[in-house]
Amino acid sequence: MKFTISWLKEHLETKALDEEIINKLTAIGLEVEEVQDASALYGDFLIAQVVDEEKHPNADKLKLCKVDIGGKVVDVVCGAPNVVKGMKVVYAPPGAVIPINQMKLKVVKIRGVESSGMLCSEYELGISDSHDGIIHMSENSNVGGLYIDQMNLNDVMIEIGITPNRQDCLGVYGIARDLAAAGIGELKEIELPKFKTVGKNPINILFEETSNQKNYCSAFGSRYIKNVKNCESPQWLKDKLSSIGLKPISALVDITNYILFDYNRPLHVYDADKISGDIIIRAAKKDEIFLGLDDKEYNLSEGMCVIADEKQPLGLGGILGGSLSACSTNTTNVLLESALFIPANIASTGRKLFIDSDARYRFERGVDPNSLNIGLDRAAKLIQEICGGEISETQICGTIPNNEHDISFDLLKNTNRLGVEIDQSEIESMLKKLGIKITSKKDNLICTIPSWRHDIHGEADLSEEVIRLKGFDAIPVLPVRTEKRINEKILSDSYKNSLRSKRFLAHRGSNELITWSFTSSKDSKFYIDDQKLEIQNPISEELDILRPSLIPNLLNAIKKNSSRGFESFSLFEVGNQFFSDQSGDQKNIACGLRAGIKFEKSWRTEKSHYDTYDVKDDILTLINHLIPQNKKIEINAGAPKWYHPGRSATVMLNKKTVLGYFGELHPKIMKFYKIKSRISVFELFLDEVPTKLKKTTNKENYIVSDFQAVDRDFAFTIDKEIEGKILINLALKADEKLVKNVEIFDVFEGESIGIDKKSLAIKVTLQAFDRTLNETEIQEVSAKIVDSIQQKTAGVVRS
Amino acid sequence: MSNLNSISKNIESEKKLVKDIETLEKMRLQFLGKKGEITILMKDLGKMDPKERKAKAEELNKVKDSVNNFINSKSDEFEDELMSNQLASEKQDLTLDSKISDGRIHPITQVIDEVIAIFTDLDFCVAEGPEVETDYNNFTALNTSENHPARQMHDTFYVNSETDGMLNVLRTHTSPVQIRSMLEGKPPFRLIAPGKTYRCDNDQTHTPMFHQVEGLVIDKTSNMGHLKGCLETFLKEFFETETPKMRFRPSHFPFTEPSAEVDIGYRKDGNQIIIGEGDSWLEILGCGMVHPNVLKNVNINPDEYQGYAFGVGIERLAMLKYGISDLRTFYDSDLRWLKHFGFIPLDIPSISGGLSR
Repeated sequence: MKFTISWLKEHLETKALDEEIINKLTAIGLEVEEVQDASALYGDFLIAQVVDEEKHPNADKLKLCKVDIGGKVVDVVCGAPNVVKGMKVVYAPPGAVIPINQMKLKVVKIRGVESSGMLCSEYELGISDSHDGIIHMSENSNVGGLYIDQMNLNDVMIEIGITPNRQDCLGVYGIARDLAAAGIGELKEIELPKFKTVGKNPINILFEETSNQKNYCSAFGSRYIKNVKNCESPQWLKDKLSSIGLKPISALVDITNYILFDYNRPLHVYDADKISGDIIIRAAKKDEIFLGLDDKEYNLSEGMCVIADEKQPLGLGGILGGSLSACSTNTTNVLLESALFIPANIASTGRKLFIDSDARYRFERGVDPNSLNIGLDRAAKLIQEICGGEISETQICGTIPNNEHDISFDLLKNTNRLGVEIDQSEIESMLKKLGIKITSKKDNLICTIPSWRHDIHGEADLSEEVIRLKGFDAIPVLPVRTEKRINEKILSDSYKNSLRSKRFLAHRGSNELITWSFTSSKDSKFYIDDQKLEIQNPISEELDILRPSLIPNLLNAIKKNSSRGFESFSLFEVGNQFFSDQSGDQKNIACGLRAGIKFEKSWRTEKSHYDTYDVKDDILTLINHLIPQNKKIEINAGAPKWYHPGRSATVMLNKKTVLGYFGELHPKIMKFYKIKSRISVFELFLDEVPTKLKKTTNKENYIVSDFQAVDRDFAFTIDKEIEGKILINLALKADEKLVKNVEIFDVFEGESIGIDKKSLAIKVTLQAFDRTLNETEIQEVSAKIVDSIQQKTAGVVRS
Repeated sequence: MSNLNSISKNIESEKKLVKDIETLEKMRLQFLGKKGEITILMKDLGKMDPKERKAKAEELNKVKDSVNNFINSKSDEFEDELMSNQLASEKQDLTLDSKISDGRIHPITQVIDEVIAIFTDLDFCVAEGPEVETDYNNFTALNTSENHPARQMHDTFYVNSETDGMLNVLRTHTSPVQIRSMLEGKPPFRLIAPGKTYRCDNDQTHTPMFHQVEGLVIDKTSNMGHLKGCLETFLKEFFETETPKMRFRPSHFPFTEPSAEVDIGYRKDGNQIIIGEGDSWLEILGCGMVHPNVLKNVNINPDEYQGYAFGVGIERLAMLKYGISDLRTFYDSDLRWLKHFGFIPLDIPSISGGLSR
């Protein structure tokens, strides 16, 4: 909402300085977003007259001008083609700052001739793009006077942000009222216009269906004005609209705009001669066509409110006027409308048709019902003053609702809410200045809320009025700590797992990324079966669904960073993946990617690349970090379809819970992304990882044997398909008391042992709790191990 | 005696031949070994009469000691030489690089961890909620009816699923966690809810996904003074300054009444942002007393209970505290940026250990 200080002062009697007003606006919740001070911008510029001009001795296109700046003549070099002797111009003296480029003028020599100052174009002043020539001021301009005085620019323009609840401040008058209540001066009463009326409105106005009327329009007020002459607006009106960035159009339109911004009252003016028959206020029919003032064609739907004649819609009620009944320079008879539309209907119509208009903005926030008559009369009077004509009596269709209501305001509760006791007389005085009538006293005030305040419904709202006018500085700073702690559990298990995972993975050398929760459906086809994940109004095609996996965005991160020259990738993200678009159908995942160079070739290491065993280490050490000493973890070959089927595995807990997957991404995904290197991934379902299961914080019993342990190595030739973990388990089970550990230390495949075979070498550690094992015992256990493995795997021990 | 004399002569000549540990050992064996020349003479002592033996023994021991001394000192000398040869041969050039693992924590994670550290110290717990929310939880329960103009300011993302006939949304703020928490529990409440939020907006100063932390305190007495104290404590601790400059401005949120926005005072020194000095203001959070209608919507009697709520933008906090000037870089996945602005994994913020280094 834009206005100027001088416009404000038409409604506010105040001696406050501009700066006080600006600070107070923000302090009472009308946040100042911009201040434009023309006198600061143009204050140095003078009106001057060219008394003589001749060609510059050293340049063809420059002229040497003698310029009268009010009792003194200076030399100015000027390149404008339109400069002539006698012309009145805008002169910037040395020291002035040119608005368009912030250049500070100095006395300079131009091609050997001294130039003192500059003659300005509109472009240089930042007024328009025109720099064809310098500004030609009118003949009656006062030479030597200030440019801002000549142009009536001696004003400060302020733009404030209005929160959706403060519909009452969408007009200058309302802003003045709020400032008055905050102690900045006195609100001036609006003078009710007086004029003679001539007869009744000749146009018949009716609601088509009174039963539905309450859904879209409660009252429609109008006056008929005949024999007007639409013309250019007078200078004061044009200046006023220009001062807040509006373009003057014609007197009839400018007057309605003026009342809109001054008094927060949307109006509309129809060319009455373009209306066929009666005016009917009705709901639009399905697919009815409406031609807007913006020259666009709108396809209406049922329930939208139209102001129509017998043939067609002439206006979209409270949102946009129509082109068919628009006023022109030939207009002689007009119908002036001042109506009251229902906010919900305005909002939904505006949303459906994507129309943002000043009227819609106000009606959907709620307009003061009592402004209907005052606005209508002020506009009618102005039309008569500027365009002439005879005004009919007011005709009101429907009824103006009375929305004044009472709130009982408990001052003790107010104190308990605000944390500060404010003097009752001060409260009453502030509220009264807002137009709130107070009828009962003592601790409970009965407050009658005026028709223009649609945001005050209860006591909390009144507390807000009190504290915003009083100022938040009045509130003391009270301690936030309480004596008794109320929360037992601070973080959920899942949240703890997230926090721990991030720190752990980063400490393992991986980098934490946070990527969008959206991704592209194209990139996601590898991870989706038939989940519904679409976003209705995505920000772009690349971000059109909720992510079904964290992998696609991380792959894009690898692509991006490859192009930045990175060749080694250790990335992870901890966040939600979505299983459907239902609320809550999301899981917390830790997802890590490793790709590219693990070790660069160096004096010390051979070049090597990340592989599946790196992500296996990641996920298993992470699980171990989250649930220490858990021995019930199992690795099963195979993982979902986005993994390489032969290079992936599923991590299980207690044989039934899937904790996660790891492995190499499927080569077809790499092909899709045109990524050459192999990428290894793990995904861990953090919500599935149990945190503390036991009740005790004690560790397990400490049992170690001090007797000597012996290692024995075995090698078996077995079928290629048999997994190493099977051999390990068989060896462990061969003698559960004595076999302490089994590790695979070599894997060999080659034609020498057959293409469908492999050789696995295991190291078995044997140890007893109560003795050192003798050779016979060792031989016995070894035999058991060999027998068991040979029997169960059809393998052959290699010697 | 002549024998001893010849041995002494031999000793002198052999000494000159000793040049390393092997020749030294050879000399030891020649004189002191089992069949060494001195050893043999020592054995002969037994056959002598006592008088002769005493005189001979004295002489012989002198010679033996001198040989022993020579061998010991030479032995030390040779060992030292060996050690210095070994050291010289084992020299490494440690200016050569070794690979250092250098994972980083994202600044958003770090800042959320800082916020959690501060508030849990003040007896707040951490609450969570889903990112796909019902229209009811995101708006209606928060006193924002279907046609409320505030809804349009939220630029909501919609999905196709519905709850009670209304399309579900990507939560536009963390405030629906207030609703979920209050419906699940009983007052009093003291919680924060950090998390991801979404708005359909994408330009230099807006990202379609961002982070907020919600705060909620409901009991029988908490008022705007406590709200002020809470936020002041938070800002003091977060920005690690004793004198944060705060400015409360009246504002509007449908779910709080009275509502305020809080600006923080700062000044710029080159690219550095100095919090608590200067006269520039930056809006960092919205807050207010929980609206009685919100309490009614979660079955809490507003005549008995009251309290405050606030919502802070995590990105704003991170940008101010750590001097990150461009919002969009948070989600650009640029490893160079992460290396620069990211955090060492074991720098875990805590009240006892400090929030930042």
